[in-house]
Amino acid sequence: MNQIYLIPQSEPIPAPSEIFIFLEQLFFLIHIIIINSILGLSLIILYKWNKNQDFFDANKSIVKSIPILFAVGINMAIPALLFLQVVFGHLFYTSSILMGTFWILIIPFLIIAYYSSYFHYKKFGASNYAKLSLFLVILIIFYIAFMFVNNLSMMERPEEWISYFSNRKGTILLWNVSSIPPRFLHFIVASLAIGGIVYGVYFKKSSEEKLKEGLKIFAYATIIQIIIGFWFFLTLPENVIKKFIGKDIFATSVFLFGVVTAFLSVFFSLKGKLKLSLIFLTLTLVSMIINRYNLRVFHLSESFSVSQLKILPQWDVFAVFLVIFILGISVIIYMLKISFIKGKKG
Amino acid sequence: MNYPIWELYFLNSGTIVALIAVLHVFVSHFAVGGGVFLWLTDLKSFKEGNIALRNYVRRHIWFFLLLTMVFGGVSGVGIWFSIALSNPWATSVLIHTFVFAWAIEWVFFIVEIISLLIYYYKFDTLSDRDRLKIAFIYAVAAWLSLFVINGIITFMLTPGEWLKTGSFWDGFFNPTNLPSLFFRTAICIMFAGLFGFVTAVFEKNQILRQQLLKYCIKWLYVPVPFLFIFGFWYFYSIPENARFTNFILNKQTTNAVNVFIIASVLVYILALILVSKTSQLIQKIAVFVLLLIGLSWIGSFEYMREYARKPYVIYGYMYSSSVLVHDEERINKEGFLKLAKWSTIKEVTEENKLIAGKEIFNLQCLSCHTIRGIKNDIVEKTEGLTYWGILSQLYGQGKILDYMPKFIGNEKEMKALAEFIASLHNRKDDKLTEFKPLKENITIPSFNPEKDEYVLLVWSTLGEKCITDSDRWFSFLYPGSSFQAILIKRGKKPEILSEGIEIQYVVQKGYENPSRHSDFWKYSESLTGKKIAENTGVTGKTLKGVLDYNKDKKIFYVEGLPVLPYRDDGVFNPYPIFEAKAVDKKTGKLLQSTLFVAPVSTELRCFICHGGKPRWNGISGISDETAINILKIHDRNHGTKLLESALKGKPQMCQKCHEDFIVKSKGIKGHNSFSASMHGWHANYIPWKDEKACNFCHPNDAKGNTKCNRDIHAKLGIGCTQCHGKLDEHASSVLLSQQETTTAKLLLRNLKPETPLYDIKPRKPWIQQPDCLNCHVGFQKPKKNVRAFNKWTQDETELYRNRKDNSGKIPCTGCHSSPHATYPSFNEYGENRDNIQPIQYQGIPFPISSEMKCEVCHKVKMQGNYHHSNMFRSFRNKKTLRQ
Repeated sequence: MNQIYLIPQSEPIPAPSEIFIFLEQLFFLIHIIIINSILGLSLIILYKWNKNQDFFDANKSIVKSIPILFAVGINMAIPALLFLQVVFGHLFYTSSILMGTFWILIIPFLIIAYYSSYFHYKKFGASNYAKLSLFLVILIIFYIAFMFVNNLSMMERPEEWISYFSNRKGTILLWNVSSIPPRFLHFIVASLAIGGIVYGVYFKKSSEEKLKEGLKIFAYATIIQIIIGFWFFLTLPENVIKKFIGKDIFATSVFLFGVVTAFLSVFFSLKGKLKLSLIFLTLTLVSMIINRYNLRVFHLSESFSVSQLKILPQWDVFAVFLVIFILGISVIIYMLKISFIKGKKG
Repeated sequence: MNYPIWELYFLNSGTIVALIAVLHVFVSHFAVGGGVFLWLTDLKSFKEGNIALRNYVRRHIWFFLLLTMVFGGVSGVGIWFSIALSNPWATSVLIHTFVFAWAIEWVFFIVEIISLLIYYYKFDTLSDRDRLKIAFIYAVAAWLSLFVINGIITFMLTPGEWLKTGSFWDGFFNPTNLPSLFFRTAICIMFAGLFGFVTAVFEKNQILRQQLLKYCIKWLYVPVPFLFIFGFWYFYSIPENARFTNFILNKQTTNAVNVFIIASVLVYILALILVSKTSQLIQKIAVFVLLLIGLSWIGSFEYMREYARKPYVIYGYMYSSSVLVHDEERINKEGFLKLAKWSTIKEVTEENKLIAGKEIFNLQCLSCHTIRGIKNDIVEKTEGLTYWGILSQLYGQGKILDYMPKFIGNEKEMKALAEFIASLHNRKDDKLTEFKPLKENITIPSFNPEKDEYVLLVWSTLGEKCITDSDRWFSFLYPGSSFQAILIKRGKKPEILSEGIEIQYVVQKGYENPSRHSDFWKYSESLTGKKIAENTGVTGKTLKGVLDYNKDKKIFYVEGLPVLPYRDDGVFNPYPIFEAKAVDKKTGKLLQSTLFVAPVSTELRCFICHGGKPRWNGISGISDETAINILKIHDRNHGTKLLESALKGKPQMCQKCHEDFIVKSKGIKGHNSFSASMHGWHANYIPWKDEKACNFCHPNDAKGNTKCNRDIHAKLGIGCTQCHGKLDEHASSVLLSQQETTTAKLLLRNLKPETPLYDIKPRKPWIQQPDCLNCHVGFQKPKKNVRAFNKWTQDETELYRNRKDNSGKIPCTGCHSSPHATYPSFNEYGENRDNIQPIQYQGIPFPISSEMKCEVCHKVKMQGNYHHSNMFRSFRNKKTLRQ
């Protein structure tokens, strides 16, 4: 059966696709940084876990932040997924169905992880189960990440959809696709790197030693990340690789830029320079987000192009959204202001 | 058909959506109402300087945050995940139509999250003023998120003008938007009180606890009048047809309505325990019971709302089977599988029909039905039905009970789906075998035209007396054959005798004990309202007796003879013979004797669709299995308890509710007549419209055991439909006489009679029938291709079986015999079983006095057409005898 025939028909979109693509990538970037932080910090704390009171005292504020990060991280995933579904919904729903059983389990697992993070925060240092709950948080994030990697990869590869005809129970995973393990590891190791740098930021003022420790974790993790990234790159189809190494000038430029900034962030972090590390990390992340999108487009080049989407504009509603968005951000800033700045003054 | 299907047969995706959604809405309404509750309670604590109350607020926020932000937030995403798995196309429509609304909702959500986190984590460090501001911002943001999601949810039920304009604003501000918003706001306030109990009941200080519980109960009670007002407003904003379909026709919604009402009462009564003086333990238990009731309350409400939009997922735009309304016609024409992207089979063949059926099941049924699963199990729903029954269900699906979408696809696909569903039952339907009647010769009584002075004519008023023969379960026709007779004294001017004579009758040997073969006498009291002695008819008559004389009609008659087609020796013959003797009352002298046939059939082939086998020796009658299936379906569709009643030994007559002239029942007002109900209902389900359809219920199938339409007309190829109309025409004619009852309109809605509906003349069943003279105009030979359909007798006096000749003395049936068995008749149980009297008196099986045999009565040849015009001639269709 021809894979192109299987692609469901899509609905008209209410604004040019670029708007949704930009918004998707923007919110995905924020989301992934937060989730990376949760996982990275959790891994660091679990690794450093000891029954010393000092350990509990020192890390209390990080532990406290994990459920808060969860709240914001999940929240940021919503617009990312929403805008993804506007442009790629028909592909995404299909891939979700093919792995529906694993996909829907994300919800109860996420609830468990979320509650575990609260349990961990409340019982940190007081209960033996706290460590276990943190372990559970990590395990569930691994699960969710693995499922997302599978789903997004499947969405981008309609040629894999024919597996449906031999398995309709929603348990298809792309075990046979060689890019899945490095793509998954790319997330895990990124979490360690981001976690490391966030750890450093946390202790920026209180502990020079811990700042350096955080930067070190970031640097080593990023080096591993570069290797895994390279592995990931090599597992891509040949025609896709070619586009990243010259065939597509824009993609090649962004890719190379990202590699360079990654190396620079490693360089500065090893030098203990937090600010510069953060700047180059940010540039790397932006580059990687664009690479990720380019990869999607290249994968889909034979099956789907965003130019196929019909546009039925809803500019008036879009304007209302923008106004409400600005108002919402203003309210949030106001609240943060009265809570932190004013609070401190008080 | 646009997307693949998540093939979950036990716990289908629709059920997963429901489970997640019910839990989510329970919490999310609390998230909105609780926000207002927190803000106002905190404000109260501030104004009163009530520290204890503020401590309660602090505890409540923690509970609130854990429940609404963690569970509420993630389960909300869960609904989104699950609907995309269950109905991706509809999800896609919602996303693309309302992406900016969803985005706006997300803005409110992030404001909610940030404000709630600040409220909790900074509760003690913020100033009172700022803390209250944060609480207020949370409350407003939470309600605004309700405002947005409400617009989208209500769009699915009432898309309103959007269907025409496609405009976002038309879709969002749809007809049920406001009433739903107000109603849900009231629910939110109610739930604020309900969940307020949870933290209040754990307060250790008893006085404070009671104060808090009293405070919370106000939140529970204050919205009550608003719930009523907005609830009714909401209900009446739903289009009338959707209300009727889903609140009257769909009995599943009725269950939800009942749960909703009971839960409403229980919540408000049980809550009073909390403010009465009881122990904390009882209060704690009461709170958790209240939460469970609250969950069922909101669950039943959401269930009603979801079901209110059936058979659509987006009303008027997309069916719940994920087929766009505007594609329906094209799919029916081109085939469903051909256009279904994810089906491996594109066309049904004999070899692939089961797999094709499964594909169709997955694509059209699985989102609502499971296979032996936890909800709407298709095996249970089709229990007892045969392949034909299932096929009929599919054909009729969505026509009367239109909360289900119609089957969409071509005929082969419908059959393939029926095959697949039938295969799930792990049984094979018995093949219909042809019944071979046992031919029995009759010795025709003698008649001496020279010496005999009398002619005795006896006939059955009906060409076929039908009997339900399912008396243990229900009945609509119990035993009770009727006969009429005249005795003619021969002469130039024959005389019809009425006085001084007696006409006796006795049934053929072997038929004297009908109660051995039928349960009617066991259940006669329940069925007829009086206990009837065995082997006796409802009129008190037995199978041996004397005819009565009707002075008005000037005819001998007997009614209600309990004749059955079952013989004591195990032989089945639906044409038992009676012997009739006319005797002089004074002298006892035999004036004339004859034989007559008593056509009686129990051949209602309900089992073809409803399963089971014929009851009596596997030949005829309705078996327990068949009857139970029929009652179950009636109970399910109409909310009756007929099966329960039958199991208690009290089977019911169908006509107790459904008026019927033939059994002299007036029924219950508002119910359609029995004929209109039976024909109207089944016409919507039976896929065939010709005689094949008639013969499912009427005893005339070529392979059946009765073959009732056995007269000259049948021999000439004139079937039921030529006079009575095809099934849809026939059903329409009786439905149109129902004075436009709602149900008659409903049954008519999807019928497609060949004669346009506006041309069909209403008729009252049994009273208004097609007349012989419709075709035989002026008693002449009918014109070619003429139909008797749609021209009815005015009243019962005009019926063939009640009419008389020009002299007003001789009934048509006296010379021509019963309807559908007019002379010459061709009975499979014996060549001349129906022609005894014409052969006896005139040696030929044609109507009495045909072939100008006036001497049968007049002793001599006569001239002219005295009895009716065009009678004085040679019989037209003699050749039929040779065929």
